[in-house]
Amino acid sequence: MNKRLIIHAEKCNGCGICELVCALSHSKQWHPSLSCIKITADEERHLYFPTVCAQCIEPLCSTACLMNVIQKDVETGLTVRDELSCIGCRACETTCPFSGCTYDYIDGKVVNCNLCQGDPVCVKYCPNGALEFASIEGAAAFKRHDSARYRLIEIFPEG
Amino acid sequence: MYGYAGKILDVNLSTGQILKKGISPQLAKQYLGGIGFNARILYDEIPVGIDPLSEENVLVFGVGTLVGSPFPTASRTEASAKSPMTELYGTSNSGAFFGTQLKGAGYDALVIKGRALNPVYLYIEDDKVEIRDAGALWGKDSWETINILKSHHYGAEIALIGPAGENLVRFASIENGYHDGWGRTGLGAVMGSKLLKAIVVRGSKGIRPKDPQALLKTVKEGQDLIKSASSYKVFTEYGTLNASIPYGRFGALSAHNFTKGTLPDWSEKAGRQVIDKYSDRHIACQSCIIACGHWVEIKEGKYKGLKVKDLEITPTVSFAATVGLNTEATIKATELCQKYGVDIVSAGGVIGFAIELFKKGIITREDVGYELDWGDDDAAFNLLEDIIHVKGIGKILAQGTKRAAEYFTGADKSAIHVKGLEIPMIDPRGRWSTWTLGMLTNIRGGDHLRCRNPVENLRYNENKHDYTKERFGFKKPMYDKLDMPEDLKAKIIDLENDIVDIAQMSKWAEDLINLYNAVGVCIRPPVMEKVGPTILAQAYSDFTGIKVSAADLMLAAERIWNLIKLFNLREGEEVKDITFPRRFYEEAVNGKVLDEDKIKNVLKKYYEARGWDADTSRPKSETLARLGLDT
Repeated sequence: MNKRLIIHAEKCNGCGICELVCALSHSKQWHPSLSCIKITADEERHLYFPTVCAQCIEPLCSTACLMNVIQKDVETGLTVRDELSCIGCRACETTCPFSGCTYDYIDGKVVNCNLCQGDPVCVKYCPNGALEFASIEGAAAFKRHDSARYRLIEIFPEG
Repeated sequence: MYGYAGKILDVNLSTGQILKKGISPQLAKQYLGGIGFNARILYDEIPVGIDPLSEENVLVFGVGTLVGSPFPTASRTEASAKSPMTELYGTSNSGAFFGTQLKGAGYDALVIKGRALNPVYLYIEDDKVEIRDAGALWGKDSWETINILKSHHYGAEIALIGPAGENLVRFASIENGYHDGWGRTGLGAVMGSKLLKAIVVRGSKGIRPKDPQALLKTVKEGQDLIKSASSYKVFTEYGTLNASIPYGRFGALSAHNFTKGTLPDWSEKAGRQVIDKYSDRHIACQSCIIACGHWVEIKEGKYKGLKVKDLEITPTVSFAATVGLNTEATIKATELCQKYGVDIVSAGGVIGFAIELFKKGIITREDVGYELDWGDDDAAFNLLEDIIHVKGIGKILAQGTKRAAEYFTGADKSAIHVKGLEIPMIDPRGRWSTWTLGMLTNIRGGDHLRCRNPVENLRYNENKHDYTKERFGFKKPMYDKLDMPEDLKAKIIDLENDIVDIAQMSKWAEDLINLYNAVGVCIRPPVMEKVGPTILAQAYSDFTGIKVSAADLMLAAERIWNLIKLFNLREGEEVKDITFPRRFYEEAVNGKVLDEDKIKNVLKKYYEARGWDADTSRPKSETLARLGLDT
């Protein structure tokens, strides 16, 4: 699969619809805490940041996993888990620099975003355009552009 | 159970007893949830004639049925108790995220009884329910309290009172997090009288939908419907402040305690465009696709550094119109009301009342301690502080305008309330419509939020028909798309003559809003215009697995409204209380007064539409039988 999620955090207003619809695809129930996409809030400034698995090429979670459960799928390029072998130790959850995986406390296993077989439901239901499903090149270019923008602001403030 | 969490949490603060009661399918189908559960519980469990500030009062939080689903705007929770303001059914509705957590913890409703010996807070985390000591929190304002509680309970939502509730200010609110709240009818004083400072809740269970795929489709349908509303776009930009300029033009503002109709330069100073100056960010409640809230910052001037949600129409009218403050002082007033935990509408009304008495010499500088004047924010905020801390004249004003007026001869003319609850927003002398009739018929007293024509237009202000009709003001497509049974629609809206029958539309509007408050969706205009009982029945059935039709839902809503009316009648509500302040009949604004006889006439038509006795307003026996309320 050659598309990834892009997050436009400035458009997120914390409505939580993505969490509800995502949880559905795993547990057939609305458990927001089981969602693969999680919204973190800065309540003082009313800012919201959705986080989700970044589909790292060399995932730290895979290195941390004690049971060798986490691999990169050769065909799709996504980070996948052999859920039957997961013992729920949550080492991956602690290791991930993006807080990208989620502990499913019903099954006692950790899960991560699988992009809904190519049609991510969070993207479909977000009313604010804060989530975009774009080509990998597009996503990379976006991130490059975004960090360049911040460096330029540092170098040339208000100019 | 599907759709519902399945339990009602019952906490007795006197005995410490904690019960978890199941929800019968009967209760679910007859009363739906939210205000429906509240009404049934309060009717059954509050003895008649009690003092609302006594331990016998019962406070209920009922979460709307659809909360926990992504149905657009499904976030709302209704809180109810016997009101210290009206001594009738007191109730208020709030969104944000509290309901999601309460239902996620496993409870569709929370019932609070009795009174604690010392200040406490209730801690709910899924199955764990504890009554904890709140001695260290008592006396602190609501923002400070939330900061402390959140540092111990990360991820929790908090319903709490500020100093106003602690001091039993009769119009104290229950705050919902930092910026939202159950404002009206003094529920904060009820919580304060129980020595309950806060309810902290964290829920990590989910809700099981019966048919998740079907409901997802309904959710999408609902989202598309709301986005197609005529008011959708402007609402996402300016929120409720869209109403500001129209009401200014109509001369229907509560300016200077309902003596003026409008203020000079209102459009420039308080029109919706002021939002662009103070806000660049929108805030949503759970599952909402409108995000009408604004994050507001004042960057310079007297209130530099102030950050708060929100610049809404209600504080704007209550403070900028009633009291005459400028926009920045209005924003400051909003912050103070949130921190103190007090109802914005009643606070503005009480302050306006006091200023008018001061200008008339009925109260003096000696009584107050300082001068009061229209537009003087320092004086207004000093007065608000005195009220919150029940100090000096604040002790009298903290009881609301109706009771405060009894202390001063001639003051009752300035007390602008219906049944003891201060009237917000519109001066009916400036605009007569379904909404303003609703101020009289509202079960909670003088209020604007439970009776609104779903296709009300703010472009016209014409009423040539004896108060019984208003102008429809739209073309055929709006008529066709309105979700209302066709035969009823033909009776209520006369498309050819461009007329709406106010009495019949009021019944429909009240039942529809009641339905919203039972299933937990929001009454904002884009929703009201488009989300009717048909799609709500679809969502309810998909979510809970209980098959209902649109008619079933409207019947349940009508049942709930009638049950609350029975509660009020039982508590002594009389027809003579259902009238506007004398000012509206006797003092002209822009040359207009209300015609009392014509209002009595349209009220009778409303009672007939409801199946109530036209003279006593009591629901007739055949109506109660039809609704299953005759036992």
